[in-house]
Amino acid sequence: MMKGLWDRETVALMLLAAYMPLALFWLWFGGAEALSRLGFALLVLAVWHLVFMIARAQPPSFAALITALAVAMLAPQDLGAIRMLLGISFGVVMGELVFGGWGRNVVNPATVALSFLGFGFPGFAWPGFDDPVVWAAIPAALIGVATGVMPAAVLGGALVVGAGAVMLGVPLDAVLPAASIVLVLLVVDPVTSASTTLGRWINGGLYAGLVVMFATGWTDAAPVQLAIAAALLTSLATPLLDEIAVTLWIAQRRRRHGRN
Amino acid sequence: MPALKVRAGLTPTFPSPPQRDRGPTDVITQEAGIRTSSGQTLRITPLVKEDDLVAQGAPVACLRDAPQIQFVAPMPGRIARISLKPGRKLSEIVMFHEAGGEVVQHDGAGATTDHALRDLMQSAGVWPWLRRRPFGGMPAADERPSAIVVMAIDTRPFAPDPRQALAGREEAFAHGLQALASLSDGPVFVCHAPGPALFERGLGDGQVRAEACTPRHPQGSAGLRIHALAPATIETPVWDIHAEDVAALGDLLSTGILPMSRLVRVAGSGLRESRLVRAQPGADLRELTLRAVAPGAHVLMSGSPLDGHEAHWLAPRHRQITVLPRPQNDKPPHWFVAALTRSGLPKPVIPTAALTQAFGAALPAVALVRALSAGDDEMAMKLGALSMLEEDVGLADYVLGGQSDLAEFLRGMLDRIQTELAP
Repeated sequence: MMKGLWDRETVALMLLAAYMPLALFWLWFGGAEALSRLGFALLVLAVWHLVFMIARAQPPSFAALITALAVAMLAPQDLGAIRMLLGISFGVVMGELVFGGWGRNVVNPATVALSFLGFGFPGFAWPGFDDPVVWAAIPAALIGVATGVMPAAVLGGALVVGAGAVMLGVPLDAVLPAASIVLVLLVVDPVTSASTTLGRWINGGLYAGLVVMFATGWTDAAPVQLAIAAALLTSLATPLLDEIAVTLWIAQRRRRHGRN
Repeated sequence: MPALKVRAGLTPTFPSPPQRDRGPTDVITQEAGIRTSSGQTLRITPLVKEDDLVAQGAPVACLRDAPQIQFVAPMPGRIARISLKPGRKLSEIVMFHEAGGEVVQHDGAGATTDHALRDLMQSAGVWPWLRRRPFGGMPAADERPSAIVVMAIDTRPFAPDPRQALAGREEAFAHGLQALASLSDGPVFVCHAPGPALFERGLGDGQVRAEACTPRHPQGSAGLRIHALAPATIETPVWDIHAEDVAALGDLLSTGILPMSRLVRVAGSGLRESRLVRAQPGADLRELTLRAVAPGAHVLMSGSPLDGHEAHWLAPRHRQITVLPRPQNDKPPHWFVAALTRSGLPKPVIPTAALTQAFGAALPAVALVRALSAGDDEMAMKLGALSMLEEDVGLADYVLGGQSDLAEFLRGMLDRIQTELAP
């Protein structure tokens, strides 16, 4: 009879609002080319969402806009329409829509699409970012955390591990901008990041740790490329982290109460 | 971490007009109905016939499987209608009030042993006010709980303040607590809002303990308190009872008469003015809202806006009436809009801070919601689903936009666990 606010589409719109600073700065500096990439990604996603709505009665979601933004911002440059079409289609269908749409997916569709493009077409250059765009990731994260749609603990875990690595003298200057944009765009996605507090801290820490490992050990990889690889591996490990956190929580309760 | 715990929970706000008169007014509605809680079925044997005159507190029906547990008349009056569903399941027993009728007097002082106390509570009609977890409903006649939780706080929106209900009845409350303590081997927890103590320390040789809890919902819901203090399992049932009913039990023991009035708040956006009344259990919702509702179609709900249901009579344990404007029955949406919004229910739940807070940040909320919607009984039991009832997930259901049906999933899961695992 009475309804609250936090259904799936509200969360998607809130996330979209949080990404606004990032998107606007990127469009401002990218100009017409950025706009055309975003438009193309949106078109492909819209078609696939429509197909799944008609074939499987799956309602489309505003979250497609977020996927489109992430793919347009992070995909390798000068791929051409056919390769982009292939990559985005694989990502959104195999990463999200076959699982039942946004909210039931296991990995972020944008992460899948970008990994596919990176592995499939390794000859193309990965994008770089202007400084204002990188700084815009901070207000994006703040809005997301303040409205409760982005897990603060994931950001916290990543910041702790990242700051620790910088203090130990690991040379991270080159990867930090790309890693922070990937963190905000792909890793803190509420659906595919961990759902328990402990799991979230480890999730963020794992992402930062993988980025540090790749930055020191993976020669001739572009910053965006290694950040995306770290994001993919992290999201695959997420269910395990949640399982560990829940098991620990249950064990702690059993110790305290002698029963569940 | 303590700072986070203090702030855990939400304060959902609903519009309601102000209350005009100060204190609670005593009301006995002309009609009253004896009914079951929502979602519960009770097989009964009526002890009276239609058109019989009964005194206040006189038994009108008893459970078919446990005849010593009786339902009593909430006021002196005449039985108007006894309606049973197939299988002798109670639908409702309607009574008309007859002024100046008699009041049944029990032997309260004689209930000194456990057996005598149970007999008194069951024959005087206190027993249905108890609720057991897991699974809900009233406890079996000879069940010994591992703990009893007395709710002297209610954080639901529009809930009347239990402290106000207890004002001036401290002695009866302490007496009732002492009696409850003798029914259980474990502790009796009194959950209260911060403020002066409700009873003296060391009551019942320390078996009765005070537990302060914070004022945001769902911190003051019985399920969350039981989850935190003494988790209910199939082997260790836990009872909960409202503090006002404990005071009534104390009065019954000292005077022999069970007081049949409870503090009820009438609120909601369908009213012109809110009211605070003392009414009998099973009171007529239409009479209590008469001359207070705003013009236009409205919905009368027993219970809070979060967990209430449309009803004619006040449900057995409810202390709130919510009046809302009836939603307009618009024409059905265009097929395309329906395809966009209505397909694929229940909608997936997105983990947000709001969902965590809707469970008071006391448990892995997303894991519980996923276990509930996937039907994973084992995991849900480990996460504490046995301590919960529908009303405890009402806030989460509300927060998630009413599309995730958590209350229905929980009820289905509890029923399944009961048939499969409970003795």
